[in-house]
Amino acid sequence: MEGSTDMCGIAGVFFKKPDANHVLGRTLVDMLDGCQHRGPDSTGFALYEDDIQGLRLRFLVEASDEAAVKRIRQALSDHGAAITRESCEGATFVVDVSYSGEIRPFAYAMEHAAKLVSIGSHLDIIKDVGSSHHLDDVYHIGGINGTHGIGHVRLATESDVKPESAHPFWATGFSDVAIVHNGQITNYWKMRRRLEARGFEFRTDNDSELIAVYIADKLSQGVKLEDALAESVDDLDGTFSFLISTKDGIGFAKDRLAAKPMVMYEDDGLVAIASEEVSLNRLFPGRALSTTEPAPGTFRTWSR
Amino acid sequence: MVTIDLSTVSVRDGNEAMRAAAERGEDIEILNPDARHHIGVGLVAPVKVKIKGSAGYFCAGLSHGAHFEVESNVGWGAGDSMYAGSLVVGGNASAIPGVALRGGEVVVKGNIGSRAGQVMKAGTLLACGNASFLAGYLMYGGRMIILGNSGIRVGEDMSSGAIFVGGKVESLGSDAKQVEPTAEDLAEIDAFLKKYGIEFSGTFKKIVNAGTKLRYGAAEPVARPLPHTVFSEGGIYWNTKTVDDIRTKSKIGRYRIRGYGTAKPVPHFSDIALKLDPARIVAGDPTKSVNLAMKLGGRFGAKPLSLSMPVLIAPMSYGALSKSTKIALARASKLSGIVENTGEGGMLPEQRAEAAQLIFQCLSGRLGWNIHDMLKADALEIYISQGAKPGLGGQLMAKKVTKELAAIRGIPEGIDLRSPSRHPDILGADDLVIKIEELREATSYTKPISMKMGAGRVRDDIKIAYKDGFDFVQLDGLQGSTGAASAEVIENVGIPTMAALAEALEGLSEIDCKGDMPIVLMGGIKDGVDAVKALALGASAVAMGTAALIAGGCISCMQCHVGNCVVGIATQDPEHEKRYKIDRQAEAIHRYLEAVRWQIASLTQALGHSDFRQLTRDDLVALTPEAAEITGLPYDPSYRGLDAGFKTKVA
Repeated sequence: MEGSTDMCGIAGVFFKKPDANHVLGRTLVDMLDGCQHRGPDSTGFALYEDDIQGLRLRFLVEASDEAAVKRIRQALSDHGAAITRESCEGATFVVDVSYSGEIRPFAYAMEHAAKLVSIGSHLDIIKDVGSSHHLDDVYHIGGINGTHGIGHVRLATESDVKPESAHPFWATGFSDVAIVHNGQITNYWKMRRRLEARGFEFRTDNDSELIAVYIADKLSQGVKLEDALAESVDDLDGTFSFLISTKDGIGFAKDRLAAKPMVMYEDDGLVAIASEEVSLNRLFPGRALSTTEPAPGTFRTWSR
Repeated sequence: MVTIDLSTVSVRDGNEAMRAAAERGEDIEILNPDARHHIGVGLVAPVKVKIKGSAGYFCAGLSHGAHFEVESNVGWGAGDSMYAGSLVVGGNASAIPGVALRGGEVVVKGNIGSRAGQVMKAGTLLACGNASFLAGYLMYGGRMIILGNSGIRVGEDMSSGAIFVGGKVESLGSDAKQVEPTAEDLAEIDAFLKKYGIEFSGTFKKIVNAGTKLRYGAAEPVARPLPHTVFSEGGIYWNTKTVDDIRTKSKIGRYRIRGYGTAKPVPHFSDIALKLDPARIVAGDPTKSVNLAMKLGGRFGAKPLSLSMPVLIAPMSYGALSKSTKIALARASKLSGIVENTGEGGMLPEQRAEAAQLIFQCLSGRLGWNIHDMLKADALEIYISQGAKPGLGGQLMAKKVTKELAAIRGIPEGIDLRSPSRHPDILGADDLVIKIEELREATSYTKPISMKMGAGRVRDDIKIAYKDGFDFVQLDGLQGSTGAASAEVIENVGIPTMAALAEALEGLSEIDCKGDMPIVLMGGIKDGVDAVKALALGASAVAMGTAALIAGGCISCMQCHVGNCVVGIATQDPEHEKRYKIDRQAEAIHRYLEAVRWQIASLTQALGHSDFRQLTRDDLVALTPEAAEITGLPYDPSYRGLDAGFKTKVA
């Protein structure tokens, strides 16, 4: 038995230095638009932004749901987190807070107040039903500046397409770690039970959330991202091409079956990775790009 | 020369413009391709096409005779099912370049991705760089040349053809062996490289099939067959069938193979009754007063199939069946105003000529799949699986793989053919979207595209079929028959036809799409009574395979796989096929189909309707608790009778 799995396209970008030609948000909007055919139902972005003050928390809360907003404010105040900024955007409620305590218990407590999408000092996950362009219209993603980010388009087969089942997935309980994943992890429950036995909580049955928590757990134990990815290729069964992002950078891992596509382009200024080259070409229209496909069973990271 | 700029026109319009230019004999230049998919798909003229940049999936796929040059890289499935012509790629090729290649030349200057040349049958695939794993996987013929290194398991389960590797071979695949290339091989490679101006001074290793898996080891002993009518009788434990099965397995030490469908009792339409009102049965011809005509497959603007009644001929291959049988089925379908289906293994010209409407199936092995027959078809169907053996590929035993049959399929003669269980280019719903689009592009969006699906995880699969944009689905339950499969799978894998329909309808209503995508139900549909019940439950139409064969002379001996069919149906032996009289059997099948029409019309009328689309669940009751549980119909045993299908309520 597997966790729930999605059919999709993924994309990610990492700027090695400030790039005058490419704004982070616009770059990912275009890349995801390029592979929207792989997943027309929902779209999501994990953006590592320049201008977050303190910690940013984004909740899935409709603007009209005053009770939820009240619960969030209460929970924040209970944990000594002071709100420095708050706003309603689309189907979400966003707050920037100053908070200096331990993240995991804080995150779990916030989760119990409302559906939490992400926590990060740089990370902001924006995901919703609709296309890349639709999300750009609602959340003004195109104008967001930052250093790196990942994104996802999803084809849903559940009855009611909801924003919370969109990707990227946040590594529940860890700040600034996000994942986008194309594939199917077949030892999902075995791995999840191991992590649950150690006290981790899961918000979905989605195998992408599992990978995120699995990696974030290793990072929190001081394992380097590169080593965590190396172990993931051995530990995870099934088909996968995933991108993981942290405060410092991004990485990919690809299964040994190479059942799910992944193409990358790298130059002095940036590295861009996507399910299909058509997304990479969106960054350089009209250019014949020199791209490579990561070999089966490989992984790599970029960080600053 | 015509220039097409894909930054200003869509690929769809671009492909139309390419076809128009090619018809005039003009060469073509594509600007700003930006790795878009389906460039040049279905082009069938000997023109030159220069692509200034990278192309996406299926570049030059389903083409015949054109010469493509891509400046940079190509995505999955470059040169898919190409018949002749060439594709030269300046950069790298992603997974499965040269998939199902049937001729022509694919030349990649850089590296090639995994499973290169999967199910290729002829032609040449050259990689100047390295190849990833499983190069030449399930290759049926042709030549692959890798100047660099090859990844693991090269030549895995290839049945013919040759792979030449200039660099290191990481490991050989199952049933592959390394031999010395002949002087002739090397001379031909040399000439090929010169033709494309490629320098190479190294030596080659040649990899070919080792011949250990082309035939089943131990043959099943020939025994007096138990006919299906006996075989399916229940009752005692240690019956003839069980004893026969144990004895045979003690001789061959493996699973057995047989034809036909499941023989164990499962809940079926006989467990449902129609709430007939005998007073509504009136004299006269019900086929004149009840509307049975329908269109099928126009969901996305393709020209729909036109049916005189909600019945299709189920997909059955030329291969499993003789050519004569396929001709008779095609003719009968025309006489009755319905639709015939090629099944696996290609389209016969005679079948095309006889059938007024014909669905052309695309299977995992791409046997006989080609652009010319796609254009001749009235609808295209992607086979994912079938009711008799969900999740497994087709089987055709050596006796039936004759020279003529092998030629149309593009495979070696006389092997025990086991088709792959998966499509090379459909590993998920996301790939499937791109595959469907390729078929639409190749045929200018004129043909309905359906999916053939066995009853496995129907609730999920039907949603994927809907989301991926099929025009309709042919859903095949556990009782569906086959020409050859392991008996264990036939009996035990999948869910009953009635349960499959219930799950499909529930799945579609869970995503609020019930009624948007027609479902053609098959798998044990015996007659018009079963058809009416299926239609009332929510199927849009039904398909009949076994019933049509029996109408046309099948004696139900279940020896379809052996190839010695005594009535000339499931055989390729000319002596046996001679016994099959096409004219007589076509008429017989037609007469049976007309009896089915009469049944559907008269029962629809007796239920108080003037159109079969007015049939609803309210017209049905369940006769058993199991049928009630599966369908959600009210359980009403008072409708039981000797002939449950027709009996009206016992007063």
